[in-house]
Amino acid sequence: MAASTIGAIGVLALFTMLFLRVPVWIALTLVGFIGNSIMLGVMPTLALAGTVPFDVGASYNLSVLPLFILMGEVASETGLSSDLFKAARVALAGIRGGLAIGALAASACFGAVCGSSLATAATMTRIALPDMRKAGYDPGLASGALAAGGSLGILIPPSIILVIYSAISEQSVPRLFAAGLVPGLLLTAFYMLIVVIVTHFRKDYAPLGGSATMRERLRALKGTWQFLALFFVTIGGIYAGIFSPTEAASIGAAGAIALGIAGRRLSFAALQRSIEGTVVTCGVLFVIVFGANLFSFFMVQTQLPGLLAAGAHAANLSGPAVMVLIVIAYIGFGCFLEAIGMLLITVPVFLPLVTQFGYDPVWFGVIVVIVAEVGLIHPPVGLNLFVIQAHAPDIKITSIYRGIVPFLFAPLLLLVLMFFFPQIALWLPKLFYGAG
Amino acid sequence: MNRTKAYALFDRLRVAQLRLASLALIVMMVVTLLDVFLRYVFNSPIHGAYELVEAMLVVFVFHGMSTAFLKRRNIVIDLIDSFAPRTLVVALIRFTDLLSIATIALFAYAMITPALQSYSYGEVKMDLQVPIWYFWATALLGIAGTILCAIGALFAPADPHHTDEPV
Repeated sequence: MAASTIGAIGVLALFTMLFLRVPVWIALTLVGFIGNSIMLGVMPTLALAGTVPFDVGASYNLSVLPLFILMGEVASETGLSSDLFKAARVALAGIRGGLAIGALAASACFGAVCGSSLATAATMTRIALPDMRKAGYDPGLASGALAAGGSLGILIPPSIILVIYSAISEQSVPRLFAAGLVPGLLLTAFYMLIVVIVTHFRKDYAPLGGSATMRERLRALKGTWQFLALFFVTIGGIYAGIFSPTEAASIGAAGAIALGIAGRRLSFAALQRSIEGTVVTCGVLFVIVFGANLFSFFMVQTQLPGLLAAGAHAANLSGPAVMVLIVIAYIGFGCFLEAIGMLLITVPVFLPLVTQFGYDPVWFGVIVVIVAEVGLIHPPVGLNLFVIQAHAPDIKITSIYRGIVPFLFAPLLLLVLMFFFPQIALWLPKLFYGAG
Repeated sequence: MNRTKAYALFDRLRVAQLRLASLALIVMMVVTLLDVFLRYVFNSPIHGAYELVEAMLVVFVFHGMSTAFLKRRNIVIDLIDSFAPRTLVVALIRFTDLLSIATIALFAYAMITPALQSYSYGEVKMDLQVPIWYFWATALLGIAGTILCAIGALFAPADPHHTDEPV
């Protein structure tokens, strides 16, 4: 049997197992193990399976993962999200749709520190949704803004998903973090623009609230200093080359704990919850990375990505056409795969393919995260939509679906812009670290 | 011994591993923090900080996995839950419990040979001068606990919503 046929059967087996409720890490590991055994023999595969977990579990580069997750867990416990929303609400008072724009700004900031899309959507829904409903906002607009805002954190650095992408694509974390910043800020701006456009045409969706003086706005912005301190020390430190990602993550985690204790907002029980939550989250992630490594090695052996590239060339498909097909496939996968699982399953197949067409792997990483964001918010299965409905069961899911539709144009517009202007992602890494 | 008592025993092991992993995380954070501070303020970084972080990551990763296994926190695509009969979903959960034990045991088995090689070659960490087989032994101990916790999941109800309980 040809190697590529074995690869194709492996991919099919993987999706069958996922459909049958087999955990992502087991599906990746078993397909990787059996596939490599067929390609290389059992003994070399056993040797590989013996060294992969240790290489991953003792990798200094991956120590950044638990430390950034800890920073996010602590930030969630200490009410940082509430400070951010209060500041944004007052700063934007008197602007139509100001509460929704404020929720987006607060979600982008909190999501950056927190790193979890679902946690950001859940937290911001608890904080911002009651205010928006009290102000007479349309439930669809309010929930759409919160779902969209929740997805921003996985792109704006420090991004956990970009760290995981770096582990399987062997790209530098600082370079990926630099690449994610401008697209993340652009996407935030696009979401805000959508609120402005929607509320311009449907004024009843967002009644005008009371205004605030300039002094009140400035005073409210002072409340964001904790976020600004964490963000600038960690991300600024990485960009400036002062800290390695692990060092920045340690400082961020310790800083979040210190700020929480100093402000009497972090009890010992809450700290313990944060630490244990980090352990559990990482326990889940690391076994997936073990499996993804085996699967990735199998994909290399089968030369399936090469075959896909040859097929694309034979069909006279251009690079952009291949990328469009990949993006469509990702949006489809996003219907049933969660973001990190989708990344680990698909990148070993797609990354070699896109690099053969001359695309930059850092740029592709940002593209993958943006499509993962789309997967989090697109009906009927975007997880963020369900998180919001779980917190506001009286809002019909159909209202949430209706509310999210205009927001879907923002990531799609960003994807189009990224195709025509890859510099959106690549100029900052080039500026900071030179050509890759 | 009834199922609840057996599960409680596995849970004690899980909690012990969870606490060990938590401690490793704190040490990882503090060591890195001190290293940065001493490097920038006194130009005197901690000797072997990098390797100490790697050692703590081994403890953190291999002992931190057990909760995900006992509490069935590993990521699954539960699309089938919405249309398959409940008995089928329960059967699939039980089947994946067994698969989980087999797969993690496969990793453990595969890790024994390189661990023994590391022991017989007498490899040591460059800065800390600690034998690398200590790291392998720590990893294998963690994975052994994880296998036990994966077995412990067999004593928990096969409820699709069981994973929602707090750790």
